[in-house]
Amino acid sequence: MENVKILICDDSILARKQLKDIIVEHGYQDFLEASNGQEAIDLYKEHKPELVFVDIVMPVKDGVQAIHEIREFDPEANIIVVSSVGTQTQLRNAIMEGARDFVQKPYTNSGIADILKARFGGR
Amino acid sequence: MHTQFFGNFLLNKGVITPEQLVDALKIQANTHKKLGTLAIHSGFMSASEVEDVYITQTHYDKLFGELAVNLGYLTESQVDNLLTTQLPDYMLLGQILVDKNILTHVELENLITEYKSVYEIYDLELIEEQQNMVNKLLSDFYLPEDLPHSEHILSYLTLLFNNLVRFIGEDFTTLNVMNLSEVPTNFCISQEVEGSFSFLSALDMEQETAITFASRYVNDEFQEFDEYVRASIEDFLNLHNGLYTVNMSNDFSMELQLLPPAPHENILLETGFSFYLLPIMYSFGTINFLLSIKKMEE
Repeated sequence: MENVKILICDDSILARKQLKDIIVEHGYQDFLEASNGQEAIDLYKEHKPELVFVDIVMPVKDGVQAIHEIREFDPEANIIVVSSVGTQTQLRNAIMEGARDFVQKPYTNSGIADILKARFGGR
Repeated sequence: MHTQFFGNFLLNKGVITPEQLVDALKIQANTHKKLGTLAIHSGFMSASEVEDVYITQTHYDKLFGELAVNLGYLTESQVDNLLTTQLPDYMLLGQILVDKNILTHVELENLITEYKSVYEIYDLELIEEQQNMVNKLLSDFYLPEDLPHSEHILSYLTLLFNNLVRFIGEDFTTLNVMNLSEVPTNFCISQEVEGSFSFLSALDMEQETAITFASRYVNDEFQEFDEYVRASIEDFLNLHNGLYTVNMSNDFSMELQLLPPAPHENILLETGFSFYLLPIMYSFGTINFLLSIKKMEE
């Protein structure tokens, strides 16, 4: 698990902290944080994290655009889209851009556990 | 506790797999609404009546509407009415799942009834006393004459009062709405919502007030005005507007888009349209709620 790098992209520091706190409980500790879509793209290209959580509604570049550009750079990218209440249309666009799965805010421990298990199994 | 999308609701019920949901969402944009789905949604026909028409259609080469009229399930004017009816996203998702034989019409109808009841319970999750308080606030509420007395605005304010009671506390009262062309802010978070009803919404308050507001919202004890306090208030506004867009989608098939919340401190807020300022007085300070309507199509 020490080698698994996880990128969390959300413009809300509160949401990033809430997600990180849950993931830490599952033994992962290597995080990258981005507060907009462009930062996420830049960090992805530099570090190639194994898993990316991207919020949909963000300034500068939104999640849908970020997913598009990350997938262009790396078609194998493991991207989970994070949707807030009220963003169903954008969620659909994100899935069409190639998000692998989605999780809805507010985060629950079991929801995140399922995603980590599906992506990394017992790793 | 939060409103669930119909897709998430189906996942949680174990009715569909994540793969099935993702597949269905992918084709949703290019799927045409069917008269049968519209008839169930409008309450003109039950799911079993719709099934009956589809079965009959396998024997007679006729259009759904024509057969439904022949069978006495619909009148011709109801068919005309349905042809111009909008369909909420969740019904279209349901239709796709029926087309893919994942659900039957009857199962879909039952699931939608359940989804709506869960959703409405959430929407009215206030105890009776709190509900009475919100009702009183609304009945005493004086809407300025130039503010459109529209259902959309009233439902927005009802949801706002409900969310304040639910997430912050019921120890508040409102003062009369003021109409301003620009607003000098203290600590202010704004969020724009776009679509056929476009507006800017904002919460403005003193930093000290923000600390308590944020602490109540996330059940934490913030001591100073920091980025977590800012983020908590953005989250409240984002959640409130998000719930509103879900309501508008479900009730009016109106699809609105949320833009990211934006912070402003000590500036003069302008949109080119007038602001309605609603002071909300809490025991710990006053929160000014701002609404600037840019476009409203009924």
